[in-house]
Amino acid sequence: MAYAAEVKNIVKQFPSVRAVDDVSFSVNEGEIFGFLGPNGAGKTTLIRILTCLMKPTSGHANIRGTDVVKHPSLVRREIGVVSQALTSDLDLTAYENLNIYGKYFDMPKQERKKSIDYLLDKVDLKDRAKDLVATYSGGMRRRLEIARGLIHKPYILFLDEPTIGLDPQSRRVIWELLQKIREETKLTIFITTHYMDEADVLCDRIGIVDYGKIVALDSPSALKRSIGGFDIIEVTLGNAGPEAMEKLKAISFIKSITEKDESFRIYVEDAARSMPALFEEFKKMGVTTQYLAIHEQTLEDVFIHYTGKTIRETEAQKVSFLIGAGAPRQMPGGRIL
Amino acid sequence: MRALAVTERDLKRFIRNPFVIIASIFMPLMYLIIMGNSFQGELKHLPVLLVDQDKGPYARRVVELMQALEDGPRTLEITRENDQKKAVDMVRDGFYKAVIIIPPDFSRDVVKNVEPQVGLLLDNTDSISANSISGAVSRATAYLKTEYTAVRPDRSRPQLRALELYKKIDYDASLVPGIIVMAIFMGTTFTGAFSLVMDKFLGIHESYLSTPLTRFDIVAGTIMSGVLITTIMSIIVMVGGLLITGIKLAGGANTFILLLATMILTALGLLSMIFTVLGRADHPRIVGVLVGFLNVIFYFPSGAVYPIESLPGWLRTFATVNPEAYAVHAFKELILKGSGFVAVRGDLMFLACFTAFMLFLATLTFKRTM
Repeated sequence: MAYAAEVKNIVKQFPSVRAVDDVSFSVNEGEIFGFLGPNGAGKTTLIRILTCLMKPTSGHANIRGTDVVKHPSLVRREIGVVSQALTSDLDLTAYENLNIYGKYFDMPKQERKKSIDYLLDKVDLKDRAKDLVATYSGGMRRRLEIARGLIHKPYILFLDEPTIGLDPQSRRVIWELLQKIREETKLTIFITTHYMDEADVLCDRIGIVDYGKIVALDSPSALKRSIGGFDIIEVTLGNAGPEAMEKLKAISFIKSITEKDESFRIYVEDAARSMPALFEEFKKMGVTTQYLAIHEQTLEDVFIHYTGKTIRETEAQKVSFLIGAGAPRQMPGGRIL
Repeated sequence: MRALAVTERDLKRFIRNPFVIIASIFMPLMYLIIMGNSFQGELKHLPVLLVDQDKGPYARRVVELMQALEDGPRTLEITRENDQKKAVDMVRDGFYKAVIIIPPDFSRDVVKNVEPQVGLLLDNTDSISANSISGAVSRATAYLKTEYTAVRPDRSRPQLRALELYKKIDYDASLVPGIIVMAIFMGTTFTGAFSLVMDKFLGIHESYLSTPLTRFDIVAGTIMSGVLITTIMSIIVMVGGLLITGIKLAGGANTFILLLATMILTALGLLSMIFTVLGRADHPRIVGVLVGFLNVIFYFPSGAVYPIESLPGWLRTFATVNPEAYAVHAFKELILKGSGFVAVRGDLMFLACFTAFMLFLATLTFKRTM
């Protein structure tokens, strides 16, 4: 089966940080593939390599079989990109924003008009098409940018943290929009995010990245299963002596357990089946249940399991000591002026 | 086609932000009005104190001559003062530019022919005013004993007869070519490469860098919109300058086409040069600093305010590669003299070569990746 995108041993070395460290994976045609990782994990760098905005230090990547380093101009015609920052022109109307992008792709006038009308309708901006983007909210701008990324009917759409900074309502609108587009066009979508719920709702497969490496890659449900103990029972026990923890750990159907102030998080395969046995055990131990709740393992649990709790140092942005943050940052050879 | 789309995007953004354009038209015209009216010929209204300690007949004659300077060419504005020490203090404190002192025995010395002296204490920190006052006072005192003018002039003295080749050009009119170049420079600094710097600063460039636009599309498209805006601006500034100074364009349509060609080529050359310099900058602060610097090094040795021939050797050498010098020369020929193509052929040739070279450099150094 042909892959929509293939990445083989990609490395991106910055002067002080290895942002992408020997990453390999492939994206199937027509799937929504997610890259989930903390800030500074190397998600944006990887998306920039795949969209020909950055050259990798080593390794290969191709989009629909076309190498991104050797034939960037061919790749650029195949991809639609929605970058992390809001990049629509504020001084232009939505229609003008889309029209000019259509021209960048050499689209004939009739085709442009058809595509713009269709997309503005799709992203629900038809009524505001003639308004300056400066009058738009963040969510509206994002929808416009998604439309812009699709103007030339790309083969694959890249979205870098598409819902960052948006309110819950706008995020949901974007999710629905992407799902609708995928259903209608069978478009392949590559998305990066650090929102668990977003990855869970949208993605067919998720790669969890950390420190520039893929630490896990599978469907959301498989990932959740993989860390053992699909359900979590949270319970606060009365009368629990210091030996309670040891006793609970000895129970065979409990996969793992954590404790905090007499509250326990008990990981089990299936909560419904484990409950009666668990109550039996509590009875034997002579403890009372003061509080009990059951919930499914979330992607967040998976994420924390694989990436730990420490906050990442972001890609070290070198700043010139002569002109501050606005200097040509690097001299040839990597020295900072 | 793609480059034209880049131009279209840029133009649309400028049309919706007309303030910058209006301000950039207004500024060179203000410069013309202020400069044109502040450096006009002889100095005037210089405040001077006069201390007459003699009060004799010849002292009165000196006072009359000084008053003639006040009433006639208005070089001086005289205030009488009796206390010499107080007068000197007032000059030191900056209230007056000089003190003229007529000493007690002045009239007696004139009559006795024993080198009569008029004292002049000057505030020489302001050398231009000091020179003017001392010149005016010494010319006036030379007439102290001249009571009449000779009826029969000395016919053996050689006379200088200067012929002016062109219509009399006032000082402010002579500034017009310079302010057109200034308008072009201003236009090229806030269009062209600056648009890209702002895109980078706002992070907008990422979106169009992932489209099939080539380096040349981006560079040429941005420069094209810059040329268009700059040329329109400089035409408005030229017309404004001509109206303010009352010059009539000699030469008609032919001259106007040559003027337009010079404007376009100058704008193209400067835009390409600034693109080469700023192609990799990503902060408007850098633009502010560099543009101010470029303005000084190109404008002053261009002949716009001071003749290139009178500059020191190293600056004259620099002027041979300064595009603004060629532009100023061409505008002077066309606007002030109404010359034809032959007079500006060299200027246009230089500007075209300069543009080609800089456009090549700009495309070469522009980075297509992030």
